[in-house]
Amino acid sequence: MPHSWALDLHWISSVKVNTQAVLKRAQQIQGRKIPKKQWQAAWLLKAVTCIDLTTLAGDDTSSNVHRLCLKAIQPIQHDLLEKMDMHNKGLTTAAVCVYPSRVADAIISLKAANSNLPVASVATGFPAGQTPLETRLQEVRMALADGATEIDIVINRMLALTGQWEAMYDEIRQFREACGDAHMKTILAVGELGTLTNVYKASMIAMMAGLIFIKTSTGKEAVNATYPVAIVMARAIRNYFLCTGHKIYHHVTGQYADYDELPMA
Amino acid sequence: MEYGAVVTSSTATAQAWLDHHSRSLGLFIDGKFVCPADRQVRSLTDSKGGNVCSIVCAVEGDISQCASSAVIGFKAWSGLTCSQRAKVLLRLGSVLGQHGTCVSELCEVCEASCSPSNLVRLLQYYSSWAQLRDTLIANWTPLGVVAVVVSDDCSLYSLALKVLPALAMGNSVIVVPGQSTAPPALLLAQLFMAAGLPAGALNVLTGSDMSLGAKVAHNPTVFLLSLRVGAVDGVIEAAFKKKKEVHWVLYVQESVLDSVVARLRLRMVGMKCVGLLSAADRVLVDAAVQQAQQQGAVLIQSCTAPPSGAQYPPTVLCRCAPASPCVVSPSPGPLLPVLTFRSNTEAVILGNHSPHGQAASIWTEDLTLALETAKSLSVGSVWVNSCSLSDPCLPVSGHKDSGTCTDGGQEGLYQFLHPSSSSPLPRSSPLSMEYTKFGTEASPAIIPDESNLARWSYQQFVGGKACKADSGCSLAVQPPGGGGVLAYCSDGGRKDIRNAVEAAIKVQPGWMKKSPSARAQTVYSLAKGLEAQRLDIAASINIQTGLSVDEAQTEVELSITRLNDWAAYCDKVQGGTLPVPQSGSALSIPEALGVVGIVLPDRNPLLSMVTLLGAAIATGNAVVMVPSQKYPLPTLAFIQVLQSSDLPAGLVNVISGNRDQLTVALANHSVIKAIWYWGSAEGCQYLQYTCINPLKKLYLSCQKDKEGRDWTQSHPTLLEEMWRNAVQWKSVWIPTA
Repeated sequence: MPHSWALDLHWISSVKVNTQAVLKRAQQIQGRKIPKKQWQAAWLLKAVTCIDLTTLAGDDTSSNVHRLCLKAIQPIQHDLLEKMDMHNKGLTTAAVCVYPSRVADAIISLKAANSNLPVASVATGFPAGQTPLETRLQEVRMALADGATEIDIVINRMLALTGQWEAMYDEIRQFREACGDAHMKTILAVGELGTLTNVYKASMIAMMAGLIFIKTSTGKEAVNATYPVAIVMARAIRNYFLCTGHKIYHHVTGQYADYDELPMA
Repeated sequence: MEYGAVVTSSTATAQAWLDHHSRSLGLFIDGKFVCPADRQVRSLTDSKGGNVCSIVCAVEGDISQCASSAVIGFKAWSGLTCSQRAKVLLRLGSVLGQHGTCVSELCEVCEASCSPSNLVRLLQYYSSWAQLRDTLIANWTPLGVVAVVVSDDCSLYSLALKVLPALAMGNSVIVVPGQSTAPPALLLAQLFMAAGLPAGALNVLTGSDMSLGAKVAHNPTVFLLSLRVGAVDGVIEAAFKKKKEVHWVLYVQESVLDSVVARLRLRMVGMKCVGLLSAADRVLVDAAVQQAQQQGAVLIQSCTAPPSGAQYPPTVLCRCAPASPCVVSPSPGPLLPVLTFRSNTEAVILGNHSPHGQAASIWTEDLTLALETAKSLSVGSVWVNSCSLSDPCLPVSGHKDSGTCTDGGQEGLYQFLHPSSSSPLPRSSPLSMEYTKFGTEASPAIIPDESNLARWSYQQFVGGKACKADSGCSLAVQPPGGGGVLAYCSDGGRKDIRNAVEAAIKVQPGWMKKSPSARAQTVYSLAKGLEAQRLDIAASINIQTGLSVDEAQTEVELSITRLNDWAAYCDKVQGGTLPVPQSGSALSIPEALGVVGIVLPDRNPLLSMVTLLGAAIATGNAVVMVPSQKYPLPTLAFIQVLQSSDLPAGLVNVISGNRDQLTVALANHSVIKAIWYWGSAEGCQYLQYTCINPLKKLYLSCQKDKEGRDWTQSHPTLLEEMWRNAVQWKSVWIPTA
């Protein structure tokens, strides 16, 4: 259900995030002991169900998108699941995510495999967002027309870095309208926002503009999801919840090789 | 979804070490474990009731054996060169590296957790001081045998924070650990031997309670008793921990209280119960919570407390009264009282109102506000936007009930040293004395007599005005040879001390805040005032002490120079930035103590008086002085110099009278922060016995005729020792990238 809350620029301008305190907190969280044995397996399976399995490369073709879709439907080897007694629980990833031009391919592959897994498409000049507003809006509409049910937009970093929060709020509102009923996620590209204070402000603006999902990064910047930014975004979400009663979801992006590297595992 | 059971780490190495000692640890004397037969034995259990090991309770014979071993150990250890001592400490660092698992596991088994890496940091820091002692702290000598006594709730880290600097400076140490730190302390002593520490330089005595510490202190070979009761530890990360050495109180600005409480509620959802140390603690926690609720406190708990057992959920107590017992004398357990304030000034007042003064943590984005608040809080360390940083290079002085000694940094080393030019306070077995009778004998009555009718009568000096004693009585001052009456001085008492302290506490904060150069100007002008009245003062020394006029004039000259020295020192006593391993800015700030009571020595009555007075006021303190009872006239004559000076009225007060009586009055005044005492052995012992509630910083000298400190020397350590006694240290930590 789309919701929105009036833009409160005074709130935005008074926000300050203490970097050192956040870093210290991140250290503490990382220092905790992680669950082991069956609990570790359970949390890993839970993490799999939250994944938007993604391919976003220049050399994507229908064949590797097809493989990706099959992987999304069956993310874990059947025999492993059987050992954990999870083989008939319908375990899949949350969605597959592709570039707008590959949405049609993904839909065909999923249909062929009798799956109704949602297809997400990045849009709005992903990953840099440096295209005219009109083409970015058009991109959203075309992805939807091809059958995408989730849209990942990227925010305009220029507006964030120059402090034009009102303009950013307006842009996101327009994307929101273009999306209609589709599920929309906002990618903040935290690696390019400079400071944690900007991360907090951008998260707040996105939530005020009516977003339900805020997402750390595109996966294409030099720095992606880290513990400190995750903490800052989670705190923004908590604050927004305390003020409005709306629950917002948090999404991290990146390539993780190892369980130990998963933030918020 | 659940996170599963907490995996308990293995303690196999520690158990093997305990098994090797057959689970009964002896004393550690002369470099080896000693298991004397037929001693009382105390068994240690962990929180689940399992047997850990048993320790021996030392008796008198063990103490004297240990003390004589420590004396031999001191000779061997202090006979080494600085770099040899440094090497031993460094070597222990690498020995700890090898046996780190055993140490940390043993700490865990004994529930006195301490990470070996913190110990290694301590060793590295203090080995560098051991290396450079003679270079950077020239002309200071180790005290001798130092006893370190810690309470049951101290961690191994806190123990090491006392033991290592004492060893680094060349002392030998007798450790009397608390119950839970006993096994790790014994292990540490064993590892020290492996690192090459001479036998006897570190001995460990275990016992059943603190009375063992008192017995050790009474041994005449022991020079310094260093107590550590409940101190900060680097391992605490938050208020809710099983074993905390710090009790937190949260102060929140009224305007944001609701949102902070809402966040706390949200944050605490799902927090599990925290284990208490024992079932007995549960009774205390229940009582504290109940009492707080009766006084109107509102509880925030993540879950309701289980009906019984050594478990309690993290609990926030909102709307507590500042005087509520849960704030003033915190009970064990995961309780966090929350108080509100309106402005930062009020927050400082509330914070300083607490009887404890170990550390404070300030959270604000305004750095100016943070630093201003840090300066006005009376605590030893202040953490800005962070908490619980402790590093051996930060000098920290305890305030109020949290102790008075300075630990850490170069400043903390001086408690284990004395100037080479003077001998330390000679220890003797305690005198048997009745403390309630001390200083109660009445002054002799003065009756009119031909010989004393026309004598001059000196007044005392309170709040900038010369006045008579409150009682109106006088005391006869005798000439040097005794017999007859030289003059009269007023016979001050408790009320006069009270008036003087009231006057002093009014002006002291303003004096401390004055710029050092402004203080220097005032002290210079005091020296000039003395110069102007040199003849009068010299005459008073002459008639009082019987010194020749020339000698008296030399003493006045020396006193003028001494005051000029102190004026110059005003802006030389300074803090600085400290090399903490973490990235950020750590500052050390010397601060005045407050009101200092000084009972002046007999020797060189003028010179010793200006030396002590100068040390106190140059560093920003206010002073209540009691002139020597034997030779009061030079100090009383100095009142006219004080009167004509531009010192703020009330900063320096002089109360003459019976020394013992006035000592009692000073000792029992709660505002006085420190007492410097030159007098009888009984007086020293009385002060040590009395000045524990509230704690006062004591600087005692037992004077005997024809010996003691030479006040005429101009050795730099004389002045250094004085000003180091006149300041306390605060460290401020601001984490930055």
